[in-house]
Amino acid sequence: MPRYELALIVKAMQRPETAALLRRTVETLMERGAVVRGLENLGEKLLPYKISKHNERHTRGGYFLIDFHAAPGIVTGLLDHLERDIDVVRPTVLKNDPEPSNGPCCGPPVASKLQDTV
Amino acid sequence: MIRMKKSLTVGVKFMEKVDSCHSVDSFAVSRSKMFAVRSIRSLQFTFSQLGGTQQCLRSLSGSSNVVKKNDDMPLQMENPYKQPQKGCILCNITVDFKNVQLLSQFVSPHTGRVYGRHITGLCGKKQREIGKAIKKAHSMGFMSVTHKDPHFMKDPNICDIRHLE
Repeated sequence: MPRYELALIVKAMQRPETAALLRRTVETLMERGAVVRGLENLGEKLLPYKISKHNERHTRGGYFLIDFHAAPGIVTGLLDHLERDIDVVRPTVLKNDPEPSNGPCCGPPVASKLQDTV
Repeated sequence: MIRMKKSLTVGVKFMEKVDSCHSVDSFAVSRSKMFAVRSIRSLQFTFSQLGGTQQCLRSLSGSSNVVKKNDDMPLQMENPYKQPQKGCILCNITVDFKNVQLLSQFVSPHTGRVYGRHITGLCGKKQREIGKAIKKAHSMGFMSVTHKDPHFMKDPNICDIRHLE
């Protein structure tokens, strides 16, 4: 199963309400057959720009990252569900597969090999 | 080689002659002896430079016209003056949309526009990664579009651009 990352921006709320929101989000994920790997809290910050969502203008928001493994088919359904949640300001699902590290970055161009043979 | 051998024998014969002359003044004898010794010593030095007497004997025994090819050719070695490969400043650094501080360093503080390659000095791969990460951060609500986050204004300037204060 490919690995995804859900970057969740939630409304600035009190601690018990945020906890409840996270709980129901993770439960939704698990219901759809995703394996939740971990949850990170990036803190409550000022949003980079004012976001209007669910008839509300948001200035501050809580940032969360949920790492999970899931089948590719559930992603659209999940995003649909999160958009309808009034406490969620902006949900984004990204692919998070670890890339194989290539050779030396910014190496010399291949043409340099020709100079040696001359 | 043959010439040198002759002069060596000459030097030795000279020494013998000097030893045999007892009637000559002692000072003159010592001076001539010294000259002979010096000449022998210089010859010995040149012989050692050639690589010992064994090699000389070998070359003297064979034909002296053939020059061995291995001695003359330059040695095969990698360039001793080779400089270590210079990479761009983001070599071996993973670029992430979450790392807003890093991304903000490649963005104008006045307008929030992404700088081009001629200003950032990044290689093609990293410039594209940075551009994509900035766009991602914009759309996901992590980074501002029209300005640079005030917390990151005091960061050191890594781009090749001078801002008017």
